[in-house]
Amino acid sequence: MKKTELFEPGLTERLSREREKDWRKNLRREISAQKRLTIPRHKMPEQPPAQRIRNFLEVNLGYSLEMAKEEAQRCLDCGNPGCVAGCPVAIDIPTFIKYIEAGELDKALDKIRETNGLPAICGRVCPQEVQCEKNCNLVKAGKEPVAIGHLERFVADYLSLRSELNIEPGCVNSSRGKIAVVGSGPSGLTVAADLARLGYQVTVFEALHVPGGVLAYGIPEFRLPREILHSEINFIRSLGVEIKTNFIVGKTASPSDLREAGYSAFFLGTGAGLPGFMNIPGENLLGVYSANEYLTRVNLMKAFRFPDFDTPAPAARKVAVIGGGNVAMDAVRTALRLGAAEAVIYYRRSRAEMPARVEEIRHAEEEGVVFNFLTVPVRFLGDEKGRLRGMVLQRLTLGEPDASGRPRPVPVPGSEFEVEVDLAVVAIGQSPNPLLVKQVDGLKLGRWGNVEVDSETMASSLPGVYAGGDAVRGGATVILAMGDGRRAAKAIDKFLRKC
Amino acid sequence: MNRIILNERLVPNIFHLVVEAPEIASSARPGQFVMVIPDEKGERIPLNVADWDKSKGTIDLVFMNLGVSTRKLAGFKTGDFLEGVAGPLGRPAEVVDFGQVLLVGGCYGLAGLYPLARELKERGNQILFLAEARSRAYIYWENRIRKVTDEFLTAFRADCFSSDKDLEEIILGLKSWKPQLSRVVVMGCSYLLFTVSEITRKIGLKTRVNLNPLMVDGTGMCGACRVTVHGKTYFACVDGPEFDGHGVDWQEYFSRRKAFLSQEELALVHLVKKLDSQE
Ligand SMILES: Cc1cc2nc3c(=O)[nH]c(=O)nc-3n(C[C@H](O)[C@H](O)[C@H](O)COP(=O)(O)OP(=O)(O)OC[C@H]3O[C@@H](n4cnc5c(N)ncnc54)[C@H](O)[C@@H]3O)c2cc1C
Ligand code: FES
Repeated sequence: MKKTELFEPGLTERLSREREKDWRKNLRREISAQKRLTIPRHKMPEQPPAQRIRNFLEVNLGYSLEMAKEEAQRCLDCGNPGCVAGCPVAIDIPTFIKYIEAGELDKALDKIRETNGLPAICGRVCPQEVQCEKNCNLVKAGKEPVAIGHLERFVADYLSLRSELNIEPGCVNSSRGKIAVVGSGPSGLTVAADLARLGYQVTVFEALHVPGGVLAYGIPEFRLPREILHSEINFIRSLGVEIKTNFIVGKTASPSDLREAGYSAFFLGTGAGLPGFMNIPGENLLGVYSANEYLTRVNLMKAFRFPDFDTPAPAARKVAVIGGGNVAMDAVRTALRLGAAEAVIYYRRSRAEMPARVEEIRHAEEEGVVFNFLTVPVRFLGDEKGRLRGMVLQRLTLGEPDASGRPRPVPVPGSEFEVEVDLAVVAIGQSPNPLLVKQVDGLKLGRWGNVEVDSETMASSLPGVYAGGDAVRGGATVILAMGDGRRAAKAIDKFLRKC
Repeated sequence: MNRIILNERLVPNIFHLVVEAPEIASSARPGQFVMVIPDEKGERIPLNVADWDKSKGTIDLVFMNLGVSTRKLAGFKTGDFLEGVAGPLGRPAEVVDFGQVLLVGGCYGLAGLYPLARELKERGNQILFLAEARSRAYIYWENRIRKVTDEFLTAFRADCFSSDKDLEEIILGLKSWKPQLSRVVVMGCSYLLFTVSEITRKIGLKTRVNLNPLMVDGTGMCGACRVTVHGKTYFACVDGPEFDGHGVDWQEYFSRRKAFLSQEELALVHLVKKLDSQE
């Protein structure tokens, strides 16, 4: 419980106060714990694999109201909810689930929104299996955990059409100070929403023409339909937040221009947009793409609807994707949907070390993606026109753990072999976007160009400048970015009250 | 959304757009570009900033009508809106005291080099401007450029690939006429960049070329714009677009520019059909 306590003092008391309310007690009595333990976890309804690899519609179809209520009944409403401790933004999970069981969906959503401004998104993309659901007490009882992510998504979707919001819209009071948020990814949107609710005037500056950060350009529609993203962003706008797209801070205007324009505090949520390459021969051949380029073409620019939309995506029959994270899974499944006959993952460690969400790995397998573990490309091969025709791979074994605690892959001498491919997507990770942060005098950066911050306040080395999300952590997760945003918002509020 | 103040045809296939973009107008520097999104289904394409007017809050873009996006741009009327313009992007060109500078511009590069000529001139440099075109009918902004240069020369070629001889003669002639000439900056079609670099390489005359690779975001996020210069990979949108012409891996550059040739044709056919059916 310690970590969450640090993040929010008094959390334990608040949780138990909610739990002791009469309606909760009554609900607990209605169905016995024994009976609850017999209800099996509800599977998420999905599009069948053969159908979904031919479209870009969402794979997961969502629970019905009945399924959601039954799934909510599985939650024992225990006194020591591990789930909350596993949630980086400490959502009061038992309370929202019990509201679902009681049929009070509005209250369930309000409860989530108290600490999470993007529930429809988190319900879809969070790695629940290593966070809330991992700590569910049902696991200790030898059962599958409550499907917390599916329930979060259900509540958000079910009420997405609700016009009236129970949360008071931010009453913007310009005398409280203007705040510039750079980047409209989950960290920036979270800071913006929290500060707008406190009455600050917030402007979010986004370099691209669409807000959302990775949610807009990286994560494919078959995992996160864009209407969902748009309605979450509209919610944030309704709080009084202004979002300026096509505005690159450091180019369109410098931070000092913004200071002159009256912005008194800054949040840098500029993400980890710099794609990593392997620096091996042949990497600039036609047909070798960064995952960022491949996914941006398809998701942001809608190349899957080419030529109705103008941006093309590369056509290919044999596709190789290098990497084992969510980005790699998204790229390889995108390739299948664009018509690849063969889509193969090459990952340098083994299955157990793959950082992708388990659901993504399972979906990819069902869709026919082939996995090659302990292999790494050492060279790309081109034809006389500079087009990719194949690659040379090398086998690896796992050695001693490295700095990340994962076993270090060691090359097997003489294990090189060749495969034929006409499209290779490099998805080996991104590092912090250097465009702005390298330009700011006095901003302390870490080894990988990440902004150095105080982990509690997210304050950088410059007074009034805060940072969070992937700009600080390198490629991390949506929910961690949001957690950073919440902490930064609190600290910015404190900072501005003082000055 | 950015309002179009003016759209005019300069020469048969080159257009001039004046667009409202106050923030860009107040921060643009010579050699920078913007990403333009014509309409909600459009691509993001890079266009050099050919001029700007801080007080009016407008920027000037000059482009050759080539593919789907530029064709869409050419069709816009005064008062229409562009979906978006983002920038200014890329590193500004160096403006210091070089002494004598030769600027070689072809197609959109005549306009693209104009602000650089103006600012170099203001810094006290002597500016020789060589305009390369198919014929005199393809030269535009001559008066405007003459005002900020010391010499205005022309080189005509029937098409991109013919008679590099003339160009070579002119450049070598210039060098013997102006022996202090120490720097060349080139902007225009890829073949011009390459040809001039090959000519000046022979006499060791420093040459900066404005590369124009395919781009997607223009902010350093995707790597579509990778170019190899002196054996090292750079992202042209953030590390360039200006590079040492003697270090560029031209073969790779030409081949990467053709990555989507067949799709580009398809998209153009699609657009033409759509326009026809609207008529
Ligand atoms: C393909 C892909 C799949 C992923 N899948 C998952 C998943 O399933 N679950 C999960 O939890 N995480 C996932 N992640 C990681 C997650 O998306 C990121 O950790 C998260 O989005 C980081 O949020 P952020 O706010 O730090 O920045 P980002 O989302 O990266 O947003 C940064 C924004 O800042 C803008 N920007 C940068 N510089 C400037 C500037 N100078 N001026 C103006 N704007 C600027 C950028 O254009 C960008 O829009 C995935 C990432 C990728 C790439
Ligand atoms: S265009 Fe994407 S990195 Fe340059």
